Amino acid sequence: MTMSIVHRATGIANYAGSALLVLWLVAAAWGPEPLDAVNGLFGSWFGQLVLFGYTWSLTHHMLGGIRHYVWDFILGMEAGQREMLAWANVIASVVLTLLIWTIFVWVG
Amino acid sequence: MREEIITQKTIADPRSHYGNAKASTRHFITQRLTGVSNIAFLLLLLFVVVRLAGEDRGDMVETIGSAWIGLPLALLLGIVTIHMRNGMRDILEDYFHGRTYRLYMMLNTLFCLIIAVAGIGAILKLVFWG
Repeated sequence: MTMSIVHRATGIANYAGSALLVLWLVAAAWGPEPLDAVNGLFGSWFGQLVLFGYTWSLTHHMLGGIRHYVWDFILGMEAGQREMLAWANVIASVVLTLLIWTIFVWVG
Repeated sequence: MREEIITQKTIADPRSHYGNAKASTRHFITQRLTGVSNIAFLLLLLFVVVRLAGEDRGDMVETIGSAWIGLPLALLLGIVTIHMRNGMRDILEDYFHGRTYRLYMMLNTLFCLIIAVAGIGAILKLVFWG
């Protein structure tokens, strides 16, 4: 139940977040000044916070989608297995997000 | 796909043939196929963002402007917008009906179309005109 809501919420967040990606791409196509402005916005502490959330949202929604695939093959539907998959989804999404940011942003 | 408010009894009775079997199956399959494609999109996006975040225009043109990266990215982004519209439709169907539903669905289509046209347009600009 909760995971269904989270899957929808992250879906909506990704829906809105796509505007951020397109903003970046359009700015790059437009010229150096708009790109600098977008880079400044995304590089600010608030921009980084939003992008961190966006990374988690994308990761969570992707893993949730894979979970739906597992269910499509009538696997993992029993009581216990469902809860296990739900927890695996949450934990893996947080771990993956932290891993991506640690490797590519904080260290790299 | 839903026009009027349907009772639980109608839905539970198989003889009522509730819902549009073909459109709903197509919706389901479309969402699964675009979903798989989105995994490839996210991997490519990760590669592009890690390489280009905060970089200047020259680097953007060099990486995204390469047809081997730009064209798959444009295609996958287009598929993402189909998944976005399809997914938002699921949510809208649950909360709105009739005219309100159609209005929100139109706005949904419009938003996804803008994302697709602006995103793909920007990428193609980088690929073909630098």
